[in-house]
Amino acid sequence: MELTVTQENLNHALSAVSRVANTKTQLPILSNILLRTDGNRLLVAATNLEIAITQYIGAKITKPGAITIPARLMSEFISSLPKESVELKVINDNLHIKSGTYNSVINGYIADEFPELPTINESSSIQYSIKVEDFKKAVSQTIITTSSDSTRPVLTGVYWHSYNNQLYLAATDGYRLSERRLVGTKSDVSVIIPTQTLQEVMRNIIDDSSEVDILFDETQVRFRINDAEIISRLIDGNFPDYRQLVPKVSETTVTLNKLDFVRITKIAGLFARESGGSVTLTADSNKGVLSVHSIASQMGENTSEAKAKVTADGQITLNSRYLSEALSVIDGENVEFSFSGKIAPCILKSTDPKTDYYHIIMPLKS
Amino acid sequence: MYHALWQSVLGEIELTVPHATFTTWFKNTELVDQNDAGVVISVANIFAKKQFEVKFDDQIKSILSKQGINPKQISYIVSTSNKNTRSNRETTINSSSQVTADDLISTSPRYQSQPVTASVGGLNPRYTFDNFIVGSSNDLAYTASRAVAANPGIKYNPIYLYGGVGLGKTHLMQAIGNEIIKNDPKMRVLYISSETFVNEFLEYIRFKKKGFSEKYRNVDVLIIDDMQFIAGKEKTQEEFFHTFNHLHQNNKQIIICSDKPPKSIPTLTERLRSRFEMGMAIDIQMPDFETRCAILNIKASLSGVTLRKDTIEYLATNIKTNIRELEGALNRLLAYAEMRGVEPDISTAEGLLGNIRQSRPQHLSSKQIIDRTAKHFQLDVSEICSEKRDKYIVVPRQIAMYLLRSELHLSFPKIANELGRKDHTTAIHSIEKIEKAIKLDFLIREQVSSIREKLYA
Repeated sequence: MELTVTQENLNHALSAVSRVANTKTQLPILSNILLRTDGNRLLVAATNLEIAITQYIGAKITKPGAITIPARLMSEFISSLPKESVELKVINDNLHIKSGTYNSVINGYIADEFPELPTINESSSIQYSIKVEDFKKAVSQTIITTSSDSTRPVLTGVYWHSYNNQLYLAATDGYRLSERRLVGTKSDVSVIIPTQTLQEVMRNIIDDSSEVDILFDETQVRFRINDAEIISRLIDGNFPDYRQLVPKVSETTVTLNKLDFVRITKIAGLFARESGGSVTLTADSNKGVLSVHSIASQMGENTSEAKAKVTADGQITLNSRYLSEALSVIDGENVEFSFSGKIAPCILKSTDPKTDYYHIIMPLKS
Repeated sequence: MYHALWQSVLGEIELTVPHATFTTWFKNTELVDQNDAGVVISVANIFAKKQFEVKFDDQIKSILSKQGINPKQISYIVSTSNKNTRSNRETTINSSSQVTADDLISTSPRYQSQPVTASVGGLNPRYTFDNFIVGSSNDLAYTASRAVAANPGIKYNPIYLYGGVGLGKTHLMQAIGNEIIKNDPKMRVLYISSETFVNEFLEYIRFKKKGFSEKYRNVDVLIIDDMQFIAGKEKTQEEFFHTFNHLHQNNKQIIICSDKPPKSIPTLTERLRSRFEMGMAIDIQMPDFETRCAILNIKASLSGVTLRKDTIEYLATNIKTNIRELEGALNRLLAYAEMRGVEPDISTAEGLLGNIRQSRPQHLSSKQIIDRTAKHFQLDVSEICSEKRDKYIVVPRQIAMYLLRSELHLSFPKIANELGRKDHTTAIHSIEKIEKAIKLDFLIREQVSSIREKLYA
């Protein structure tokens, strides 16, 4: 293999893929990245056997070939180079790198040992092209409620599924739940995409990306953004039928300005650290206010109010962190906050129906 | 159905590929179908599928053909075998009105009943009395533990074991638990570290989690490891106190271990301390030379190797601090001998242990010992070497002398000289005194070993 690339392109590709190269693995070659010529492009790839990231970059190829080299050393070396062209040349399984006055040789390992990257049969798979803004929004709105509890694997990802000809994303960790409608669909979809995969996809979205191509079958999913390709396993299992949890009617509905709500939640949260974030919200229909109350037995206490439209009096105790996180991903100027008594789940959404999103939080027992 | 066939294929492949490759790709594979059209093999994930299709296909075909099977083609599927069973158990939605934050999606009965019925109660079955090596240093602890295992809740309740790291406290405690279960599988044994107790207690307070008291009070034997971590946590101690009383009242066995005796844990509340002392508190000491040799002998024979006597003695002489380190050195020796294809004899050991010993300072000076001792007791070196005979100086001075003798083998006159004494009999007397005290007084023993640790740190 012998080729020339620019430092910027190579550096970008290495930083995109090397994060998944893992040194703590049974198979030592997984801590390496694969470099392989592909037509007039260079393929840079890494995998941890759950997810594989591939990045193509333009290159001037003199001699085709392939090699694998330690990810960490390579990416750190390339990122320290000046923005000039970089020559890569393989001699006896070693990679000779030359850029200006910088020369180095990195011991490589033959590419044959590197795991084959999975491919997906495009004809038998379901495909979506989604605008980057929509994708980013929908994923960031749902990914916050995924669980990290590995004893319940189905909750450690985001559930992409079709329902009434619409594609929905949903995630829950058992304490809260979020759902976002993404696009219309004719296909029947039901897959759970691991949280880590979605995080990697989000990291690979750069400013000039416009669309994310998503392709999946029963066992794997592929994302394609510009020249990057991310292939991942799906989580095996059935996502719980969460729709029956969504409260159909609520006794109390409070409508208020989102920024006001964020502020009083944040302030109350300061006094709730001792009690594990527990804050009590009281809706008063006569005065037309929503008040948040929290107590820190050693420090003091706090009550903050915000003007609100309140349909009926009510009280509920929530974790202030969950509440803040929910409010941070809800769009629009005003929020609708509904609940029924102290033990039923509460539901938060924007007053703007076009946002297609709601967030449910279980109350704390007070 | 095709299990035996697939096993034989795997057996053959295992010989031809590196171990890491084998475990990565061939774990959780199965031959699921075989007919005229071909063979279907289920593999762990999409990466394995591709790998099989590209890299292992030919090899599997040729092995199968040796078994008289010539499939036209092999297809690989990603195993989803546990999909149905899991979904039934794993996630059911709880629509009951009794909701806590945890119940939004509650898990199966399996999850809920886990704390109490985990039949082995967090015990590691490897730890038994049979493989516990008894020597004079742990004889008493062993005998008492056996007695407890035979009559849980009746004799020695609570039993409190203490001693330094790697001396076998955990082994003994787990052995008691395992033995009790072996004798009566219905007994509910719970083994936890005090840290787990603290964490669960915090969660219980913070999130009002249910089942905390039940978990700890509905057991027949409660084993708590590393009790010292509960020190200073007042509320947890109070909760533990009630748990303790409840269990003790009902004649349930309590087994506790810690690195210090109850008296020496400074922030332990008085009522807990007195309770810990009311059963039996036994210390486990550093194994002596003979015990160390016995341990090495048994460990080596467990690995199927017989070591020469001089090798064993060499290891036992050079590693004195704890059993874990001893085992580590032995494993290292055996692994090295196997890799290099040499005999695990004394010369190999010397070559290897050179490394272990090099990690310690080669030149320990008498000044270092005196400095360290003074520092440990927060005294000035000049005080230790002075003429003063206040008790708070005398004991540290005697310990310093003892260490000079035991670590540097200095002569008595030299030792006396180092500490500003004129008469070497002072040194003889002091050293004898500390030697005796070490056997009787835990505090002194602990101080000496902690200074020694710092010297070699």
